[in-house]
Amino acid sequence: MSDTTFMGVSREKIPWCPTIDYAKCDFCMECDKFCPHQVYERREGNPQLVVAHPTNCVVFCRACAKTCGPDALSFPNKPEVIELIKRIRAEEENNG
Amino acid sequence: MAERFAVLPCNGLDKLAGPLAREIALAVVEACKGELICPVLYNNLSARYAKALELPLIVIDGCGTRCATKLATEHGLKMVRKLQVAETLKELGESDGGSLTPDAERLALCQRLAEKLLSAPDEGAASNTEVQFAEPVEYGSVTHDKFIFRVPMQDYLFNENHCWAHVVGNRARVGISDYMQQQLTDLTFCEPPRIGARIEQFGEVGNVESVKSVADILSPVSGHVVAVNPIAAETPEIINEDPYVRGWVAELELTDLESDRQLLMDGPAYLDFVRRQAAQYKPNR
Repeated sequence: MSDTTFMGVSREKIPWCPTIDYAKCDFCMECDKFCPHQVYERREGNPQLVVAHPTNCVVFCRACAKTCGPDALSFPNKPEVIELIKRIRAEEENNG
Repeated sequence: MAERFAVLPCNGLDKLAGPLAREIALAVVEACKGELICPVLYNNLSARYAKALELPLIVIDGCGTRCATKLATEHGLKMVRKLQVAETLKELGESDGGSLTPDAERLALCQRLAEKLLSAPDEGAASNTEVQFAEPVEYGSVTHDKFIFRVPMQDYLFNENHCWAHVVGNRARVGISDYMQQQLTDLTFCEPPRIGARIEQFGEVGNVESVKSVADILSPVSGHVVAVNPIAAETPEIINEDPYVRGWVAELELTDLESDRQLLMDGPAYLDFVRRQAAQYKPNR
């Protein structure tokens, strides 16, 4: 078992990661400096920062958003993601 | 005559939350004939406000970067009440966009928030709970290199974000696990939630900062905050020393434990989870 599941659900099935609003982002890179999970990646050219590894993002963690001065980071709706995880678990249980 | 307060607000100007924090601060100071602390001057010349800071302190943050709270913490100031404007706007369903000059409607909102702050209970005020949270009788442990990660075997529930809930009746205390506190290393700051706040499962029930990192405390259970641990807020190292008992962060009145349980582990299951995590754990100190 690796850490690529969350409560038994494959991490790939859980849509939890930041979205960068490029209209607000000033590429200060504070989020990338903060995140220890290599969710972000700096690039040459435009945009200079992307969410390159979304499944590295810790499910329900939004800590990087607090480092963002221009409020350019957003995350999915938590209760909806919780419901989705519960639904997938129930389905997988029913399918044995 | 209302109780007098010193007020340390956000000094931001580039987002609406900053100007609103300023308006709320002015309204509070005016209503209670208190003292306004300029964060910029305080940062440069703290002695200037020594007299003003003999009053109980209210801190008003604009956005999630919480500069005012951090400034207060760096100077060892005790905060009796706090408000974060961006979060409050969200809770009220109000927009945080638009003109940086607050209009009449927003000024009225600031006035209401100031009145609410003045009538709020102090942080860490004693709750009316009679619930007794007994110490764990049995711990399991995982040993990895020189580290030993402990887990209470009964009465505690855990999420995969390494936060625990100790449930007694319809109440629960929440905190961070031994594994998480050791990963974070020495804690320097603990911000508990606001008393009365409604917390969803996996919602933020405070946050902790260490010399190494910052982490949100993601609540294993949903409910209303009925008490916070003033000792953890004042001396966060208590969480390093005793994460499961004296290092609790907040106490919640539970609203949907049966549903919450679906995404929680008991002690033995969490111990197993920690064992798998520890196998990949590369301490960086």
